[in-house]
Amino acid sequence: MRRWLAALLLISTLGFAEKTFVVAYQGGAVTLDPHMRNETTTLAWQHHLFETPFFFNRDGKVVPVLAEKIELVDENTWKLHLKKGIKFHDGSEMTAEDVAFSILRAATHKKSQMKGYVGKISETQVLDRYTVLIKTKVPDPLLPAHLDHAAIIPKAYLEKVGEEGFNKHPIGTGPYKFVSWLNGDHLNLEAFDGYWGKKPAFTKVKLVNIPNGATRVAALLSGEVQIAEKVLPQDFPRVERSGVARVEQTPGVRVIYVALDYWREYGSEGLPKGAKNPFLDPKARKAIYMAIDEDAIVKRIMGGAATVAPQFLAPIHEGYNPKIKRFPYDPKAARKILEDLGYGDTDGDGWLELPTKDGNRVPFALRVDAPNDRYLNDAQIAQALANMLRKIGIKASVNAVPKKVFFPNMTKGHFTMYMAGWGSMDSINTLLSMFHSKDPSGLYGRFNREHYKNPEVDRLIEEAAKTFDKAKREELLKKAMYIAMVEDVAYIPLHYENVIAGVRKGIRFTPRPDEYLHAFEAEKE
Amino acid sequence: MRYFTVRFLQMIFAIWAVATLVFLFLQLTGDPMELLAPEDMSEAQVAELRHAYGLDRPLHIRYLIYMENLLKGDLGISWTSGEPALKLLAERFPATLKLVLTALGIAIVLGLPAGVWAAMRSDTWVDRSLRFFSVLGISAPTFWIGIMLILIFSVTLGWLPSAGAESWRHYILPGLTLSFYRIALFLRMIRSTMLDVLSQDYVRTARAKGLPERIVVYKHALRNALIPFVTLVGLQFGQLMAGAVVTEWIFAWPGMNRLALNALFTEDRPVILAFVVLTAVIFAAVNFVVDLLYGWIDPRVRYA
Repeated sequence: MRRWLAALLLISTLGFAEKTFVVAYQGGAVTLDPHMRNETTTLAWQHHLFETPFFFNRDGKVVPVLAEKIELVDENTWKLHLKKGIKFHDGSEMTAEDVAFSILRAATHKKSQMKGYVGKISETQVLDRYTVLIKTKVPDPLLPAHLDHAAIIPKAYLEKVGEEGFNKHPIGTGPYKFVSWLNGDHLNLEAFDGYWGKKPAFTKVKLVNIPNGATRVAALLSGEVQIAEKVLPQDFPRVERSGVARVEQTPGVRVIYVALDYWREYGSEGLPKGAKNPFLDPKARKAIYMAIDEDAIVKRIMGGAATVAPQFLAPIHEGYNPKIKRFPYDPKAARKILEDLGYGDTDGDGWLELPTKDGNRVPFALRVDAPNDRYLNDAQIAQALANMLRKIGIKASVNAVPKKVFFPNMTKGHFTMYMAGWGSMDSINTLLSMFHSKDPSGLYGRFNREHYKNPEVDRLIEEAAKTFDKAKREELLKKAMYIAMVEDVAYIPLHYENVIAGVRKGIRFTPRPDEYLHAFEAEKE
Repeated sequence: MRYFTVRFLQMIFAIWAVATLVFLFLQLTGDPMELLAPEDMSEAQVAELRHAYGLDRPLHIRYLIYMENLLKGDLGISWTSGEPALKLLAERFPATLKLVLTALGIAIVLGLPAGVWAAMRSDTWVDRSLRFFSVLGISAPTFWIGIMLILIFSVTLGWLPSAGAESWRHYILPGLTLSFYRIALFLRMIRSTMLDVLSQDYVRTARAKGLPERIVVYKHALRNALIPFVTLVGLQFGQLMAGAVVTEWIFAWPGMNRLALNALFTEDRPVILAFVVLTAVIFAAVNFVVDLLYGWIDPRVRYA
């Protein structure tokens, strides 16, 4: 009886032979309207259907996709030349009408989430069948790169079926066309015969959302899926030992960093009541930096699934400065720096001390804030940081909370030291948001929660943001980064999270640094 | 008739209360734009988005609009996907329903006879081993059972799929995972009520009349033990419809619990609210059906 049952199950397994190429994600796309949700998995799924004028390649370079080239007419005007003969999935040709319409929609639709990229665009004009004029409100030297978030959709089709109809059956120019989907769960695709570019290796593709890491790995090992993203470090040995799959890693652009209160002399919320905040002085910040054994974090906590970061930007970013190296790990020197600054242990209890406003001294206690559900092993990293700080005499404790609580609290300034991550392909955006001093209009320093401020750095960033010459811009960014990272120790970089995928035997695939997982980048071996 | 009117009004009140409470509680979680708006949008652009979702209006106005729409059966538009929340839930409702029915089916088919068996053989090795199993079933966490089943049947044996809901084979592992606790629960419940009923006078009378043991057990005893059992099954149904979160999560089940969990993670309040209102309606409806079933099983209820 039992044998029969087993045989029956086995036969039905065979009947289910692998024809469809299945890729498992940790999440799923929540919309197939390419301008409404700016989130990695949603965009990654959409990239199979839609393309943009320009896109980043794996080396972080901006390359033309639907565009032939782009010309700068004046500071606020660009002329976009399109490739000819590109077809939408319904067979109609993509023209300047579609492109002018789509870019403006991404820039101005009231629910568009792409405004962080193309929100500076005020107007688009059709010059001829293959040329579009783009006008911006303010100069944007990075406009070509920003067009990577302006997916091109067929104007006539959208106007015919409406937004609801478009969501039901989206049409783009991408290598795959839409077959069916369940919002947030799976998307069935079929290779588009009329695709202008390189034909993808697999005809039928299914993208699925398998949220639980252990299930994702199980599905990979049992052959239900061919690629599974975000395999957890603890599962690496199981995958490698299985003989049917392997782990592929690429250093990503997401940096995990530590921020320290840069603005309150007293009343910093992660220190004992009334204690002076030592971190207004870059020397004290450097001491914390030197107390952190990042090699150990990468090796022991991240299981090798991360790459030590010497600075805030990643090597493929514009403005990455190879001259910036990590300060050496040296706990003795770190403690010495703090002692020399007057925070030494005077009562002999082993803990460093902080002066208070009323002239007393209290033990140097420090709360390390971190999320516990946002980054790979985030709570464990925070714990390791606290342990390392305790070794140099700082009475550190950890407050790891869900991201929903963490981020609003950090934004409100309820911290002295926190750990978080930052990932963006756009260096100018990174520097404007994280390194430029806060301004009341909210235009600059939006995520500069620690209130880092250096007028020279502000000037360099602003200058870079309006410099059209790439080489000059890069120099300005490098200079700003040097001052911020080395002289001011604005943040303490920890590591870049690696982008990880489990891949079945017989398939050639490596993840992209920008975390977008595309089935059309997989090949048969 | 009057009884039904009162019950119906109570039901409406309960749904209103739940909707209002959840609406207010969600306000306590702070500004939804923190999670909803992409990091790379400027403050002004976030303000535009906030306006587009009507979040710049005062709380009482938003509440009134919400209630007005609720009366019209409009549960709002999902903030993350731009689609009607009810449509998203409706797409996923059948998958959850089928999974819950599968699990309850397995639990009833295995738990009920096992419970009767254990009661009839009370304090024998049969009873003791069934009780041991039921302790295991009640205390083993769903998460652990799910992962173990996947490791055994998907990875090691390669017999059954671990994720998705495409064929009947996909129902087996999540169905078993979800039923494990219920088998144990039903077993214990039937066993103890059966033991109770079997010691009643009317059972002794039935035996004294010389009725075969089979008739005594199934017609006289079990019928009476079924009343609390039906209540329990009904409650379990309602609980599973809104509580199969872990199982749906582990097996990547395309059900509405996973959708609601995701909505919580992304602050998609319209979807959270729609889910809560929908489950409140399901609970109320199930209670209603259970009341009707009482009458069918126990004629006394019909005349009361």
